[in-house]
Amino acid sequence: MKCRTYGDRGVLLSSLNEAERSRLLHRAESGLPPACDEYVLGYDSILLIGAQTIAVQEWLEQTNGAEVRAIKPSGCRIIEVDYTGADLDSVAQACNLTVTEVIELHSAPVYTVRMMGFSPGFPYLDGLDPRLHLDRRSSPRDHILPGTVAIGGAHAGIYSVASPGGWHLLGHTELNLFNLDAARDLDPDPARVFALTVGQRIRFQPMSTP
Amino acid sequence: MIEILSIGSGLSLQDAGRSGWRRFGVPSGGAMDRRSMALANTLLGNSTQAPVLEIARLGAQVRVLSDAWIALAGADFCSLFKAGTARLVLAGEVLVFDQRAAGLYAYLAVPGGFRAEHWLGSASTDLRNGMGCALRRGDRLESLRATPNITTEGVARRVAIEPTDQICENRAHFELYRGTQYEAFSAATREKFVRSEWTISKRSDRTGYRLEGDSLAVPASIPSEPVLPGSVQVPGNGQLIITMRDGPTVGGYAKIAFLKADDLDRMAQCAPGSLLSFSWLD
Repeated sequence: MKCRTYGDRGVLLSSLNEAERSRLLHRAESGLPPACDEYVLGYDSILLIGAQTIAVQEWLEQTNGAEVRAIKPSGCRIIEVDYTGADLDSVAQACNLTVTEVIELHSAPVYTVRMMGFSPGFPYLDGLDPRLHLDRRSSPRDHILPGTVAIGGAHAGIYSVASPGGWHLLGHTELNLFNLDAARDLDPDPARVFALTVGQRIRFQPMSTP
Repeated sequence: MIEILSIGSGLSLQDAGRSGWRRFGVPSGGAMDRRSMALANTLLGNSTQAPVLEIARLGAQVRVLSDAWIALAGADFCSLFKAGTARLVLAGEVLVFDQRAAGLYAYLAVPGGFRAEHWLGSASTDLRNGMGCALRRGDRLESLRATPNITTEGVARRVAIEPTDQICENRAHFELYRGTQYEAFSAATREKFVRSEWTISKRSDRTGYRLEGDSLAVPASIPSEPVLPGSVQVPGNGQLIITMRDGPTVGGYAKIAFLKADDLDRMAQCAPGSLLSFSWLD
C-alpha cells in the first residue's frame, strides 16, 4: 500500500491488494478520517477527499485492528440482455469464437461491481472470462446509448448515460442504472438513484427470443 | 424575472455543485469560477452558493422583464454593467454580453438566487449526465426573492474588489503539486513539462481544458484511479488535459501534477489561446 497526498485536496491510498482494498472500503463505509467528506474508489486505490496524512495514518491503524468481514453477498441480481450489440461479430472474430460462444461466455459468470465511475452509476464489473479480454476500440464512439452492455479490457460494464465510449458493445438492457427522478428527491437515497452498488453480484441473462 | 434572448457561447444555471456523489461516478460540477459566483451572490446579500447564471464568453443577451436587482461578477463582458457591481435594472432593459475582456466566465446573480430544480442536492446543470436542461432563447428564469435580503442602498454602494491577478489576460503561471504518477515520468520529461509553454486548446470545455505544447513522453497507462478537478493528466498523445468541474471521477491517464485547490477558479478563467507556464511547489 502506498500513501500519498493528492495535491492539497486529500490523500490517495494506492497499490492496494484485494484484502486491503476490501478492508478500506468497509472502513470508509463505517466512518471516514477527520476532515474527510467523501471517498472515491479506484481499481486498486481509494481517495480520501479533504483528509490529512496524519489523520489517515491514525485511521489506518484503527483499520488494521478492526475485524475483517467479507462483503456480505446480497444475492445475485439477474440482468436481462438483448444481445444485439454492434460489436458482437468483431468481438467474436477478435477472440476466435462464434457469436453464440461470446454470448455464452459473457452470460455465464457471476460478476461483482468493483467500482463506479466514468459516468453516474456506470459499474466496472469483475469476473469477465479471460477469453473475452480485449483492448478498447482504437477509435471510440461518440454516442453510446444508456443501457448498452459492453466489455473493455478485463471488465464488463453497462453504459449508464448517453456518452462517448471505447468499449465493445454486446447488447442492451432495459435496466435504468441512473434514476434521474430519484435524484430530484429532497434527500436522495443512493439505493433509489443507482440500480447497482459496489460489491453487488450480478449475472447477465440472454433475453428469451419469442 | 429575466428572459433569454440569446444564449451566445453558452449559458447555464450553476451553484456550488453536488458533493458526496463522486464514489457513484457523479462529478461535483458547479460554477467553473466559484469565487466569482460567490462574489455575485455576496453583492446581493445572498447565500454564497445560491444558483447563478453562468455566462461563457460572448454573445449572450438577457432581457429583464420586471425591475430587478442584479449583480455581475467574473469576466467583464457586459459593456453597460461593470463586473463586481450590483444595481437596479429596470423592466425592459437588455443586458448584452459583447464586450471583449479577459476571462471566460461571467456570473449573473439575482436576489435569493434563481429558482431551479435540484438534482442530488444541486441546481448545477450537467447536460452530459442529464441533470438540468440546456437553456434556450425565450426561456424565462425567476428569482427566489423580489428584492435583496439587505437594504438596497447597501447593495448599490457595494463594489467587489477583485484581486487584479485573478483573471488572466493572455498568460498565467501556476505552481503545482507533484502528481500521483510524477515518478513514472523521466526527470527529463518532468523538466520539459515545466520549461515548456502550453496553450489552452479550443477543444476545452467544462469537463477539461486541453493544453497543446511539445509532446511529453508518456508512461504506461495506470489502473483507473480517482480523479479530481485540477488534475494535470497526460493522455497517450503526450499533450495535457486539466480536469475541470464536470470531469469524470476516475481515469486511467497518468497524472503528472495537481493544481492548488485555490487555483482552480483562476484556471477556469483562462480562455482558449492563453499561454500557461508551470513550476513545482516544494
